[in-house]
Amino acid sequence: MSRAKPVLISVDGVDAAALLAAARAALGSPSRGGISRWDASGVFQDLAVADEAAGAPSARTLLLLYAADLAFRLRWQIRPALAEGRTVVAAPYVDTAVAFGRAAGLKAGWLTNLFRFVPRASDRRFVLPAEARATAARDGFVGFSCDRMMGATSGASRRRLSADTAAHLRRAAKRKAPKTRP
Amino acid sequence: MMPRPPSSLRIARRSARAHFTDPSRRRGLLVAFEGPDGSGKTTQRKLFKTWLKSEGYDVVTTKWNSSDLIKPIIKSRKTVRALSPEEFSLLHGADFRHRVEEVILPALWDGKLVIADRFLFTGLARDVARGLDLDWVLKLYEPLLWPDLVFYFAVSPITSGKRVTATRMPSYYEAGQDVTDVPDPVESYQRFIGRVIREYESLALIFNFITVDAEQSIGDQHRQIRQLFLEGQRRPWSEWNADAVAEWLALQGGRR
Repeated sequence: MSRAKPVLISVDGVDAAALLAAARAALGSPSRGGISRWDASGVFQDLAVADEAAGAPSARTLLLLYAADLAFRLRWQIRPALAEGRTVVAAPYVDTAVAFGRAAGLKAGWLTNLFRFVPRASDRRFVLPAEARATAARDGFVGFSCDRMMGATSGASRRRLSADTAAHLRRAAKRKAPKTRP
Repeated sequence: MMPRPPSSLRIARRSARAHFTDPSRRRGLLVAFEGPDGSGKTTQRKLFKTWLKSEGYDVVTTKWNSSDLIKPIIKSRKTVRALSPEEFSLLHGADFRHRVEEVILPALWDGKLVIADRFLFTGLARDVARGLDLDWVLKLYEPLLWPDLVFYFAVSPITSGKRVTATRMPSYYEAGQDVTDVPDPVESYQRFIGRVIREYESLALIFNFITVDAEQSIGDQHRQIRQLFLEGQRRPWSEWNADAVAEWLALQGGRR
């Protein structure tokens, strides 16, 4: 019997609940494989309970932590499943982090280098909410980061950052539209 | 950092340059102490700090892997030996960035002298010794903040190994057991520190470190450091640091 072909699907977006729903839909049957979600390593959970006196992280620090978490997910979830010929849906993956970084004013070159160690997904999908929902992202990486990061000093600036992240994702989806499948 | 138009970053850069080149105020200085474990740099850092204070400097010290926010995250993962080289590198990069923003740049802005007991070169030497690409690791640390002086305490792998193992057993990651696969920590350390020192020696050439022969007596090294500091402290502010300072100023949202 021939071995199944491994497939890596990325699903990116700002809304954690919508991401999970889209990831489940992309996977189809759970027997095909699994979903790799944000903060599998617990880095952000640890950050959430840190003493406020320790100071707030900047967007750059948050992205270094996101990349560390993604390295963990690749090592323990994504690569082993692919090696077994299974399907993995990574939700979120690289595009969410890059969009957040761009919205926070970081250079594209730095973000590209940061995620250089990450394999490309064979199928890239985006969950693009309407403007109003994008500004209300509370959970997941984008919601967490908008709430916690240094420099996001008001509700208005947090909402703007979340909306700008969604706008960058829309642009990424346009540039890298998934191939049309039969 | 919130989105800023290019003109705003240009203004922040100008503000950084004006602040750090203003002759009417004492400029903040950043001095880094680098070298392998057992090179005696912590002893020298303490002596140097005492001397600087006696000379009237306002001194702030920052150590490697010491951010209040990130250190506990790294520590818990080191304890269970759960870090790959990439995770090790990225988490230490996060720790460094947080200290740059919370400790180093605020102190430099206020005209203090910052002594860094290990700087980003520690990350470069260790990560490359773990098999990671130098270019990838260096870019993680952008926007770069260059010290005014980097003292590199040079010792042989044998001396480093002897000094470290004389008082304690090297820890799992210190001994590089995650990459050597050698079960004996002392043997692993000896192998790993050789690689780290090779990387340090390359970095010393590329980045123009001031090399201190750390096999000399403690007193001789200290006298040499004092003299080199007095010769080097009048260096002009490095324009390379404008991006790092401008980004930090943007994070302050007008509070500076």
